Amino acid sequence: MKWSQFFNTSIGKKLLVGATGLFLCSFVIVHLAGNLALLKEDGGEAFNTYAAFMGHNGLIQFIAWGLKIVILIHAVIAIQLTFRNRTARPVKYAVRPGNKTSSWFSRQMAIMGSVLFIFLVVHLAQFWWVMHYGEIGKVSYGAVTEVGNLYEVVWFAFKEPWIVILYVLGMVALAFHLIHGFKSACQTFGLNHPKYNGLISFIGVGFFGIIIPLGFAVIPVVIFFKQIS
Amino acid sequence: MKLTLKVWRQQNSQDKGGFETYQVSDVSTDMSFLEVFDVLNERLINEGKDPIAFDHDCREGICGACSMYINGRAHGPWHETTTCQLHMRAYNDGDTIVVEPWRAKAFPVIKDLAVDRSAFDRIIQAGGFISVNTGNAVDANAIPIDKVDADAAFAAAACIGCGACVAACKNSSAMLFTSAKVSQLALLPQGRPEHQQRAEDMVAQMDKEGFGSCTNTGACEAECPKGISISNIARLNREFIGAGFSSKA
Repeated sequence: MKWSQFFNTSIGKKLLVGATGLFLCSFVIVHLAGNLALLKEDGGEAFNTYAAFMGHNGLIQFIAWGLKIVILIHAVIAIQLTFRNRTARPVKYAVRPGNKTSSWFSRQMAIMGSVLFIFLVVHLAQFWWVMHYGEIGKVSYGAVTEVGNLYEVVWFAFKEPWIVILYVLGMVALAFHLIHGFKSACQTFGLNHPKYNGLISFIGVGFFGIIIPLGFAVIPVVIFFKQIS
Repeated sequence: MKLTLKVWRQQNSQDKGGFETYQVSDVSTDMSFLEVFDVLNERLINEGKDPIAFDHDCREGICGACSMYINGRAHGPWHETTTCQLHMRAYNDGDTIVVEPWRAKAFPVIKDLAVDRSAFDRIIQAGGFISVNTGNAVDANAIPIDKVDADAAFAAAACIGCGACVAACKNSSAMLFTSAKVSQLALLPQGRPEHQQRAEDMVAQMDKEGFGSCTNTGACEAECPKGISISNIARLNREFIGAGFSSKA
């Protein structure tokens, strides 16, 4: 089988979705690690320095564009597979098993993925676009001069209760997507063995399904309450 | 007990089809699910009506012919049970039971509850075999096989090809079936020489038949009457990835 044929099979396409998905899993770890600097009440020195570094480092910029391509590949192929899966059953069942035979999370991947995509567009428009192409206040910290004050933009945005709610809901969708997503990607890569299935479940559900989304969701909530108190 | 059966009736593959409701009384808890249909069909024949078509053969849970989707579950509510082995003690007096055929583009309805599962045969024909003549039965232990592998191959070979995995899967995916057939051969030395070509050919045929792709929900494993594990799907994925890198064709 040539590679072109290989990646046109159902398994080949799933491998692409799985590989891009795992890359995105690694991205959310780095993203959260950086975002935690938002909670530091230092007038934004740590966060803005970090944001400036991410925005100007060549390697990071290269990965950032790769990241956008990866998201598109992940979404486009997943949509292709979803349509294929829908057409595989032209006449639906009158009675369905609900959660008796599979978990709810595992059946909502396309829906949660779509919610995340919409969230992502809003999120990028709100912060990434402003940082790169919008008007943003400049600040200087010692050696680091004239960097965009993204910290201020974020704190200002999270004064709005509905934006905070939107972000929390976005992270609920992320949690639901990753509870199944990480485990599913591992299975697609053939990683299924009693020796490490427990670990895969723990990382998938505990780390990517709970800790990471919770970490993200805490940031807007804390910033909101710090500003109203 | 008295039961209400809502059964899918469809004259042929072109017919649109629809549900018909039947009242069946004097159902014994010792009857099998298929026996209720036998009783109902006898009545329909006596009334000069068309009996309900459904697949059945051995009626002891090993042939894979019976295929009813009962109240949203492939082969009914019991774990690791075929429709013929489902007994009416699973139900209570007055219950309404909805019976549908397997639903998949690759399994077109022939009539009523009988579907055409020859797509499975074509997947087997694509690679589920060993090309060389294996000759007479050799002495036990002439070829050393790890007990664990022998057991895993046997567990995969327990697949009876009934299609419950496809019926239960929200994507109508045939991955559990295909993976069981690939695994039973890939785990044994006689099957090793062709293992990569087999994985590629069977997956290609599976896609060609119009089955959906696997989203690892595990519904197939939950509904399989023979308890085939989705660890076989992981094995098929490994076989297929390996073939992608190093198959000879």
